[in-house]
Amino acid sequence: MTPIESAERTLRQGRTWILVALLLLAAVYVRALLFTPAELVQGLAQKIFYIHAPSAWVAFLAFGLVGVTSVVYLFLKDPRLDLFAASSAEVGMVFTSEVLVTGPIWGKTIWGTWWTWDARLTLTLFLWFVMLAYLVLRSAVHEPGQRARYSAVLGILGALLVPFIHVSVYLFRTLHPMPVVLKPGRPTLPGSMLVTLIFSFLVFTFFFVALLRYRYALARLADARAGAAAERADA
Amino acid sequence: MPETGGFMVAGYVAAAVIYLAYTAYLLAKGRRAKD
Repeated sequence: MTPIESAERTLRQGRTWILVALLLLAAVYVRALLFTPAELVQGLAQKIFYIHAPSAWVAFLAFGLVGVTSVVYLFLKDPRLDLFAASSAEVGMVFTSEVLVTGPIWGKTIWGTWWTWDARLTLTLFLWFVMLAYLVLRSAVHEPGQRARYSAVLGILGALLVPFIHVSVYLFRTLHPMPVVLKPGRPTLPGSMLVTLIFSFLVFTFFFVALLRYRYALARLADARAGAAAERADA
Repeated sequence: MPETGGFMVAGYVAAAVIYLAYTAYLLAKGRRAKD
């Protein structure tokens, strides 16, 4: 099977993956909104947690993948790694945008303000700008090898922010709540809320995989077609 | 318990808009790539 045929097949399957992911996402909405109790102090707004925290996890996963594949690219110079990193960065931007939109909506109800220059919020916004710069850089440099090298370096620098953001609530005095699941020790969340959160984490991870798989297939298809066109021009 | 249902709905709607918009963009790009 040629690279073009392989990418086209992944795109065909990818539509089904995305449809399944959207149905599961709808199930998360139903479970969180209708079948999970409201938190006593924060009220209904706390339910934003069930989409905010999993989105943040996926954003960190996406940028972590950008970092790892960028490091490996600099050693192996395999263009597929560059395409994978770029795809992960784009999908990660979507999830980070969701975090930066839902966070202030939740924050307004519990902090009384939409935004505060707290360490975690500020670093997350900074990560969003670094990854925006990564995507802008990719569209500005046209020579593929140069583009891949420059963006790999920026991708690694952006990914280095991820662990800092996760531990920022321990390192700095902050308004942002401490982790309740991804922390040492047992999760500090009542059973029904924990089930909803774990379900949401799994669904958001699958949604990310479905989007990333599709986005990567699109990148591979464009790359393979460009390669085939260049070969025809040389012949 | 504070009544904050409006904020909850706003958060869920905003998230749905972001995810559906990107999914639609990606699928449209895939359709164009097929042609």
